[in-house]
Amino acid sequence: MLGFLIGEAFRDLRRAGRVAVSAIVLITLSLAALGGFWLVSSNLERAVAKWRERVRIIVYLKREPPAGEAAALVERVQGVPGVAGVLYISKADALASLKTVLGKDASVVAQLPSNPLPASLEITPAAVAATPEGARVLVERLASLPEAEEVAGSADWVERLSQWQRLLTTIGLGIGAVLAIAAFLTVATATTLILHARRRETEIMRLVGATEMTIRLPLLLQGMLQGLLGAVLALTALVATHGLVAPRLAPLVSLTLGLPEIAFLPPLNLAVLLLAGTLLGGLGGCLARAGREA
Amino acid sequence: MIELHRVWKVYSVGPVKVPALSDVSFRIAKGEFVVLTGASGAGKTTLLRLLYRDDLPSEGDIEVLGYDLVPLRRSRVAALRRSIGVVFQDAKLLPVRTVYENVAFVLRVLGTPRREITQRVFDALRVVGLSARAQAYPAQLSQGEAQRASLARAIVRKPPLLLADEPTGNLDDAMEAEIIDVLKDIGGGGTTVVLATHQARLAASLRRRTITLEGGRVVKDEG
Repeated sequence: MLGFLIGEAFRDLRRAGRVAVSAIVLITLSLAALGGFWLVSSNLERAVAKWRERVRIIVYLKREPPAGEAAALVERVQGVPGVAGVLYISKADALASLKTVLGKDASVVAQLPSNPLPASLEITPAAVAATPEGARVLVERLASLPEAEEVAGSADWVERLSQWQRLLTTIGLGIGAVLAIAAFLTVATATTLILHARRRETEIMRLVGATEMTIRLPLLLQGMLQGLLGAVLALTALVATHGLVAPRLAPLVSLTLGLPEIAFLPPLNLAVLLLAGTLLGGLGGCLARAGREA
Repeated sequence: MIELHRVWKVYSVGPVKVPALSDVSFRIAKGEFVVLTGASGAGKTTLLRLLYRDDLPSEGDIEVLGYDLVPLRRSRVAALRRSIGVVFQDAKLLPVRTVYENVAFVLRVLGTPRREITQRVFDALRVVGLSARAQAYPAQLSQGEAQRASLARAIVRKPPLLLADEPTGNLDDAMEAEIIDVLKDIGGGGTTVVLATHQARLAASLRRRTITLEGGRVVKDEG
């Protein structure tokens, strides 16, 4: 029986001809757009997560604490809410670090009369303090320390990156939704044509006592087939585009976002796209039937 | 098998009520071959449509094969129809399928196991004398052959009741005789047959029980 129903669904697809092809193309475009934006957005999300981990707040100290007091200061700052980690950097450490950064120009440091760099504390914020608001509160707390001369650092730019990622997701969903509505209506049109073409079959089926399920299922299946075909084509296009473009953009992405490569969508997202296409087609098939029976 | 009790069917054409059947009552026993005759518009087709529950009467009760048709739920209509074969004046064959596929279509729709289908289709085609034309398409058939294919489709499920609505209406005398012979064979096998025809000559030549309708009323029930 299942073989018969699937066979009828394929027969119906052939009957719908060009309209079915248009529906499949529209489903492909809508899911490819959605998948494309999803891919970019998920990579940006990875970058945001990575950069959130790298947010640091520096507390410049008024004076370098004596050797015995530095550990106590670190311990005290460790207890400030929102602080995940504290690293004490002495004046000497700061100067050594500067020399490393200057590389072959490090000799200029030797000409300084004294070490001008302050001792500092490098603070790693806890997750709650890695947001702009959280970071601002933490900066205020750290600035109120009696040893603090100045506090530098915020999470604002990470948040801006996060906002870009959300904007991209919204644009992707918008474009995908508009194309999905067009695809949905085209599947419904294709199904209406099929209904017209198979009216004699339907008449015979009812006459010989076929159940409503047997009559309707091929319509639903052909709609789902259109959706599934569109989704498979969209995924194929995404895989091909990713394979072609990702290696070329990798250096740029590494430089700007700090990501080693542009990752493809995980299997769960691919399954969601396949399911979305199939449901979209199935709904189109149902809509045509509902319209006919209304 | 079939029982109609004071059945009325009235169509509304705007404010005007047009009775298609008026106070029709009769019984048909299992295995009977009954001819339903009358001029065009006498109510034969309306009556047959009521029997396979394509329509409901305006008044009265109808029982077919143990089903009380008036209160019958939509979901049960399919079960009723699985026990009824119907043939029309127009053979209603599916043009893109061969004779074999047309007949097999019914079995496939009803979920008959594939291994049974071939045997049952060829049995039905043998009854109507169309085995040699199994792979022909409807466009390649004569009208008589098309009607025989339609009969094969109606009997392939071996229904206990066969309704034939003017099956010879489009045929010449020779083809008509072929179809009538097939119907007699089917009736002879124990199937209840109700044959509607406007041809009084044909009805008389069959020498079977004949119910005559005039203006939607049964005016004669004899034989």
